[in-house]
Amino acid sequence: MASNALGLFGGPTAALAAAGKLKGAGFESLDLISPIPLHGVEEVLGKKTSVIKRFTFFGAIIGGLSGFVLAAGTAALYLHPTGGRPIITFPPFLIITYEMTILFGILATVLGFLISARLPVLRERIYVPESAVDKFAVTVACEADEDFKRATEILREAGAEEVSEIAPGGGRR
Amino acid sequence: MQRRHEDIKFADVNNDIVRSLVETGPRYYVTLAIAVLITLACFFFPWFYQLYYGIGAAGMNHPTVWGTYLASFIFWIGLSHSGTLLSCVLHITNSEWRKAMYRSAEAMTLFSLMVAAMMVMVHVGRPWFIHWALPYPNQMELWPNFRSPLMFDVMAITTYLTGSSIFIYMGSIPDFAAVRDRTTGWRHHMYVLLSLGWRGTDTEWHRLGWAYTFLAVLIIPLAVSVHSIVSWDFAMSIVPSLHQTIFAPYFVVGAIYSGTAGIVTVMFVLRKYMNFEHYITKVHFDNLGKLLLALSLIWTYINVVEVFTGWYSNDSAELESLRYKLFGFYAPLYWEMILFCAVAPLLLISKRFRTSFVPMLILSIAINIGMYTERFLIVGTSLSRQYLPDSWGVYVPSLVEISILVGSIAMFCTLFLIFVKIFPSVSIYEVKETLPAPDEGKTQWQATH
Repeated sequence: MASNALGLFGGPTAALAAAGKLKGAGFESLDLISPIPLHGVEEVLGKKTSVIKRFTFFGAIIGGLSGFVLAAGTAALYLHPTGGRPIITFPPFLIITYEMTILFGILATVLGFLISARLPVLRERIYVPESAVDKFAVTVACEADEDFKRATEILREAGAEEVSEIAPGGGRR
Repeated sequence: MQRRHEDIKFADVNNDIVRSLVETGPRYYVTLAIAVLITLACFFFPWFYQLYYGIGAAGMNHPTVWGTYLASFIFWIGLSHSGTLLSCVLHITNSEWRKAMYRSAEAMTLFSLMVAAMMVMVHVGRPWFIHWALPYPNQMELWPNFRSPLMFDVMAITTYLTGSSIFIYMGSIPDFAAVRDRTTGWRHHMYVLLSLGWRGTDTEWHRLGWAYTFLAVLIIPLAVSVHSIVSWDFAMSIVPSLHQTIFAPYFVVGAIYSGTAGIVTVMFVLRKYMNFEHYITKVHFDNLGKLLLALSLIWTYINVVEVFTGWYSNDSAELESLRYKLFGFYAPLYWEMILFCAVAPLLLISKRFRTSFVPMLILSIAINIGMYTERFLIVGTSLSRQYLPDSWGVYVPSLVEISILVGSIAMFCTLFLIFVKIFPSVSIYEVKETLPAPDEGKTQWQATH
């Protein structure tokens, strides 16, 4: 039966070491829940990549284009000739382009963050309230009962202060 | 009891900051009530008076058609500059000392921007037509003129306000989650919504780290552009002493300068009245003091250049406006500004001064008084001395304008007082990063550097 094992650790080093051992034992679906961003997670759990940079990049490009189109388009729609100068003038319109590039870049980054971090959360997920204070949790998804036993053993050996099973609803047993 | 920074445990940080949110003494309510009353009496009442009787209630008239409202607008935009900008720069350079102070510095940005936007509303006289500055199809077939620096301003300030709000919010998500678990009632529901279901998994931290850094990188050039654009509102006119190429860097430096002084003031108040003595320490004041000293020297240099180029131009109108600025009607204000912003900050050379809290508070307020004067002089002296003597005149702010200035300060205080009870004003997770991890003797930062 699928279940989740949870190990609570008093510090980041022990939690990272436990996650490394679980990874080495063949567990793939691992989560480290911590009160602070941990250094060295990538060495243990593998390199992470996110799509945020693409969102930022394309958001900025779309913003820049729409900024220029906005400035040039409004100038073309409402002709206001001044001193024989061109209707579509680059120096002032580049400022609008610049601002819109940044505005859309920011908005797209936020969108990218929400999508890639899967926030806001709309259904129950495993949560360990202690990990918002001073505990470092390692959670492992286990397919079978034997896996669960193996995982809890590894967690205990790694020095977990508490090892428990998490029910599908999120409560601890 | 005074604790040493090293002795603070992770749980203490949560306790101290949750306490700052949920435990509210009578002193807070009294202060808030006074701030709200002053805002209503000194800002909104005179504003409605001005709306009812017309813009003539303000002292602005030909030739000085720009007065303290716009001076206040530049001042508040300037004050907004250091918060988010400094926070972004220090985030990218991985500065340890940023972590305890950046949240409230960013809040300062946000609220001074809001107050600045209100000053524009007051200045335009007929704020119910403000939507004409927005580009949307309408039956008048009117479109805003994007060749005008005023429209650059609309775009830049909107972007900056959006960017700063998002930046402060995104950095607070993990803290909202930490506070969510410790609160009850309406506060709990509010933090459940604000934290978006943050759990603190390695993936979430990774995404937050990247998104936050991207935002910081985007906001730095944005902040520089905002005040450059504000300077072009003036520099793109042909008024002597305003039409200068140095105006953009002059405004940006002035903005960061007054903003950093503002941060010192806010840090002093937070430290003293929110009991954050062990989080906001002498180190912060020392570093802010060094920054202020560097900024004051750059600012002084730009002022010297401004006077020199005016003199070197040998243009009669330029020389007259320079003479008027240095020795005319407003000269006492000019020398007061030099005293407060160029001479007094030299005290910061002494480390003893930088690490003394009360002298730093007094100096930071003096700098901001000087910087307000600077903004007033930019508007006041230049427009009072244009090309021909028949367009010369003296501008003195009316009671309505002075009252609105006082009210705008109270409005800023009101917004900030509300902020400290909703946002954790010191970042919980970033302060923890500066503490020794529970199972180790040193911080993660020390371990990896």
